[in-house]
Amino acid sequence: MNTPLNRRHFLRSSTALIALPLLESLGFRRFASAATMVAPPKRMIFLAFGWGVTRETWFPDVKQTGADYELPQGLAPLAKHKKDITIVQGTSNKFTNEAHWGSTFWLTGANRYAEPGQSFHNSISADQVAAAQLGKDTRFASLQLGTPDAKEQGHGPGLSLAWDERGKPVAGYDTPIMAFHRLFSAEDTPLAQRQRMIEEKRSVLDALGTDLNRVKRGLSKDDTDKLDEYAQSIRDIETRLGKDEQWLAIPKPKTSLHEPKAGLAGRAEINLMYDLMIAAMQTDTTRVMSYRQPVNTVLKDIGVPYTGHDLSHYERSQGDRMEFSQKRDEAQSKLLAGFLDKLKATKESDGTSLFDNAVLAFGSNISSVHFLNNCPTVLTGGGAGIKLGQHLVLSKDTPLCNVWLTLLNGLGVKAERHGDSTGVAKELIA
Amino acid sequence: MKLSVLKTALSFSLLTLSARAAASPAKLDEKQRTFFKDYCVECHNEKKQKGKLRLDDISFALDTVERADRWQKILNQINSGEMPPEDAKQPDAKAKTDLLEALSHTLVTARRALGDSGGKIIVRRLNRREYQNTIRDLLGVEIDVHDLPADGGAGTFDTVGSSLFMSSDQVEQYLALGRRALDDAFLQHAAESKHFKLHTETEKAANAQIQSAMNVIAKRSEPARKWFASVDAAAATTENAAQAAELRKTSESEDKHNTFYRHWAEIKGAPSPTTFGFKDAFAAIAEQSEYEETNPYHERYLALPQADKGSYLFVFRLRHEEKITPGHDWPPGRYTMRVRIAALDNTPPERRFIEMGHPSVPGAFDIISTHQVTGTMTDPQVIEMPVTITSTDDRPFAIREKRQNSREAEVGIWVRYVREHKDWLPPSMWVDWLELEGPLPSETKADIFSAKPVREIIESFTQRAFRGTKSESAFIDRLVKFYDSHRAAGDTHESAIKSSLSIVLAAPGFIYLTEPSQPGKPRTLTNAELATRLAYFLWSAPPDDELLAAGDLHSPAILQAQVDRMIASPKSREFVAGFVHQWLGLDRLDFFQFNKQMFPQFDDSAKAAVRKEVYETFAHLLQTNASLTRLLKSDQAVINGLLANLYGIEGVTGDDFRPVSLPANSPRGGLLGMAAIMAMGSNGERTSPVERGAWVLRKLLHDPPPPAPPNVPQLSRLADKPLSPRERILAHQEEPQCLQCHRKIDPIGFGLENLNTIGQWRSTELYTRANGGRKDWPIDPSGAFHNGPKFNDYFQLRDIIAAKPENFARSFTEALIEYALGRPYGFTDEDLAQDIVKRAKAKDFAIREFIIALATSREFGRK
Repeated sequence: MNTPLNRRHFLRSSTALIALPLLESLGFRRFASAATMVAPPKRMIFLAFGWGVTRETWFPDVKQTGADYELPQGLAPLAKHKKDITIVQGTSNKFTNEAHWGSTFWLTGANRYAEPGQSFHNSISADQVAAAQLGKDTRFASLQLGTPDAKEQGHGPGLSLAWDERGKPVAGYDTPIMAFHRLFSAEDTPLAQRQRMIEEKRSVLDALGTDLNRVKRGLSKDDTDKLDEYAQSIRDIETRLGKDEQWLAIPKPKTSLHEPKAGLAGRAEINLMYDLMIAAMQTDTTRVMSYRQPVNTVLKDIGVPYTGHDLSHYERSQGDRMEFSQKRDEAQSKLLAGFLDKLKATKESDGTSLFDNAVLAFGSNISSVHFLNNCPTVLTGGGAGIKLGQHLVLSKDTPLCNVWLTLLNGLGVKAERHGDSTGVAKELIA
Repeated sequence: MKLSVLKTALSFSLLTLSARAAASPAKLDEKQRTFFKDYCVECHNEKKQKGKLRLDDISFALDTVERADRWQKILNQINSGEMPPEDAKQPDAKAKTDLLEALSHTLVTARRALGDSGGKIIVRRLNRREYQNTIRDLLGVEIDVHDLPADGGAGTFDTVGSSLFMSSDQVEQYLALGRRALDDAFLQHAAESKHFKLHTETEKAANAQIQSAMNVIAKRSEPARKWFASVDAAAATTENAAQAAELRKTSESEDKHNTFYRHWAEIKGAPSPTTFGFKDAFAAIAEQSEYEETNPYHERYLALPQADKGSYLFVFRLRHEEKITPGHDWPPGRYTMRVRIAALDNTPPERRFIEMGHPSVPGAFDIISTHQVTGTMTDPQVIEMPVTITSTDDRPFAIREKRQNSREAEVGIWVRYVREHKDWLPPSMWVDWLELEGPLPSETKADIFSAKPVREIIESFTQRAFRGTKSESAFIDRLVKFYDSHRAAGDTHESAIKSSLSIVLAAPGFIYLTEPSQPGKPRTLTNAELATRLAYFLWSAPPDDELLAAGDLHSPAILQAQVDRMIASPKSREFVAGFVHQWLGLDRLDFFQFNKQMFPQFDDSAKAAVRKEVYETFAHLLQTNASLTRLLKSDQAVINGLLANLYGIEGVTGDDFRPVSLPANSPRGGLLGMAAIMAMGSNGERTSPVERGAWVLRKLLHDPPPPAPPNVPQLSRLADKPLSPRERILAHQEEPQCLQCHRKIDPIGFGLENLNTIGQWRSTELYTRANGGRKDWPIDPSGAFHNGPKFNDYFQLRDIIAAKPENFARSFTEALIEYALGRPYGFTDEDLAQDIVKRAKAKDFAIREFIIALATSREFGRK
């Protein structure tokens, strides 16, 4: 089990020169070529960090609510965006008791033990609810980004932040290179050949399906249920092929992003993932994205000699940890601020910005140490019509899913409930 | 697509609700009623029902999910300190601690009982390890499985079917990886009769490169010297002499070479460095400095006594590695690398190790193996190292002196040495030559290369890939058709057959281990099914022909003979590594970076070796069928030269792990004395008595503490107080919420404090305080188990633990059941676990007894 680092990670090396185009966007060239002008699409983004924050210096003073509040130290790098962010306090996922699982139930609000006879259960995540509606017209219904060793980053079980309708984990791309290739790697094969490749893939799937039917025969219900994952995978590939076919004449979007350098870690990795998200939006490759962020490599990068979990136990009696924990908060806020800068600077075809049409949530299921109440939550973006520039303290133990439901509804996604929600968070609606 | 709104809220059920909850063993002790009567019922009774909760008549049986959830809420409220409310009567610490302990353990039991699958073994897919091994078995090639998503779910083994998921990306990866494996197999086959060999006399390249580096630097810095001379000439004029002398004086005080020339502009008539081709004075000075620094090294290198016959290994600069690169026409396969090498006479023992690997990143190695060098200048040795060339990995291989695995670290080692000794860090070893040769014969079965009809090739391969099960003609038809359409499109036979066969390697019959069954009618497994279970249990690979043809595997005698044969096979190493790694939680070893300054010797090679010690020890016990209890305490350690060096044990050299007798006072012998186990119980810098204590309770004593509770208030009282590590942790024990577990955990952890972060013996701990002060705290390992025996030191602690072999055997058995049956250990398995332990105990806990008892059990033989 002592597997060395993926050797091939070291193979490729190229410059990671990043220059994002400001206005030009292939997605919109597509729209522009159509006769009617189309309004920029709505988008939803979830950004999660695993091990929580420094409670004492990240949350604003609960006595200062509304627009007139002081940004605390941990959020200070977001000062210039203060009017455009809303900090929400008081929410939690009431079912979770897993003090080391920062992301597993973050977007789902599920009860791990809800199913007798099983030791683990989850339900659909908010991003996938959005993807079912917003993802219809894009090459990818949703995009999940992540980081290697997610467990070490405090995220808990799962393959990404996303869980499908059946509560199964949805896979994601854990390195910028993987994401880049999936989204942008050039298709230099001629059209006819690609058409043939799609047909060929279909016959591959048919063959796999034939064997699946054989295997399923005679299996118990539990077993066939398990094998449904495989059946679903085949259906998912079919759906993707159908989309590929629709998109066949439209070249895979070009981006000015270069192929990422292998082995990027820490802040550079997060920045690059943010750039990939912007490129995905510019090219309208997807409208729903989530990102399980690394923490340990960021700590290493900013010179903190502790790992995420260790640092989250930052009681003052243990030396310098609290200071380092604060440093981590500031680094994360600074990265977010940089992302917001770019979202604001990148214009849509109608003169609005990516920022204006998207809604973002930045946070964790873990508040700090082993606290799962008062989930740290920063909301931003103009896409869901929520009140920005606010510090909102909701009544204690408001389901975090109320917030997700509010965002979903704000984007026009029809949902009456999500997870353990009890209603929308009216305080958030502008 | 319409999204059913309801579905977002409804949970998706895989299992129908069952009535098994009635048998739930989770019940809170009735004596805890008093606690609720005294502190809770006043507000939570029939009339008041604050928070819609009644505690006066609440059932103490946690037999449904709803009841367990309600008790979880109650536990959370008490843990968070919200209940009882501040203004109400407060329980004393003892009553609260006892209640919390009882309730949190009851909840763990309840969750396990409610989550119990009732003994069902769900169909499972191959995990990454098994997939890799199965492909190797089938095609004789190594495949990199990093592209597949990681396995493993909520803290279970990677064999647990319910936690092994499937996704569309994964199916596509199987198709791509299968194709790559077939490509490699065909390449290997085509090169079967060919033989490749590369021999490099190291001195040629070494001396030429050093000579050329010398020339380049000398030439590049020559204009700098010319410019210096011109400035000197200008400075020597009578007009400038006084000022120049003054400038030289101040420059000297800066203690830098040639800094005087930075002031050239202050000397009248001195030429600008730009006229000599430099951007500025700094650029010129830098060139000259490099020349002055490196030239003596290069000259010295070339003057080394055996430089004309071989090369010398340095940590940094000069020859920091020796490379050998196979050509691109070398097919994938297993090769042999050889090096003729000697340690220099003055090289200290800890520098007599080489690492072999891919030199992919400057200063960092993708380490494949580590070797001790015992050859001397009068009698050099030849070390043979197996390597695998794949189609995806880097081609070059190299050897170098073992060291911290980064450029930053090796520069640090060099610079510190040079600063301290005012001399270069001397070379450690001398390399005569390097050699690479192969490929070794591959074990690929020939069927796919045969000239038989395509349909036959596909049928035979499919049956082999499906572990003996025949597929249907409908499937074969499609594959043949697929082949034909590729041929029609102009593909070669080889390419078309690979396209068809790669579908087989993504098909459910290959990816899943399936066993048909009918609800409510458990049946005996067929021979082939049982052989498959057994093979994936003990080899993490498919059954071989001998196992499939062994006769009735339900006959204990036949099964035992096969188990013995399988354990004797080198393939059983897959079981050892796969099982032991997960059972003992060795992944924690990779969670953090070890502090390179504090533990320079704990480099990547050492880390790999300490992990291997755990595997090798277990493998040794397994091969000799020794008692499991020797993992608790033993008069032997299974180590090699590298570990002997780390542990300070004399007289052990070489790379092979072997049992070594230990003196009576040695802390080694058994898991607690292993560096890997102790290092896991640290954060890479300091030891973590809490991690260690919890690990001992979980793995050795079969008394796992419940998971860390959420929302427990922190102690702020201790802010900035100078406390010893022990006092710091003892603070945990002030609050009942913490005390309930830490009174059990902490004493054990303190008892292990004589072993430092990397498992070396120590008697004091240096602790740096927040205010920068440092203090050496003497280590006090004494303590007592909660409600248990006292101990004075590590040795007594170890004896107490070793005196409870049944607890350890139980922990091992439960893990083994989960790993082998591929489902979480549940209450259904209680009898099975008891039987296995009983049977093993009768044979002094001989390791194979556990395995045989499990393999011959009803549970293992039935679906």
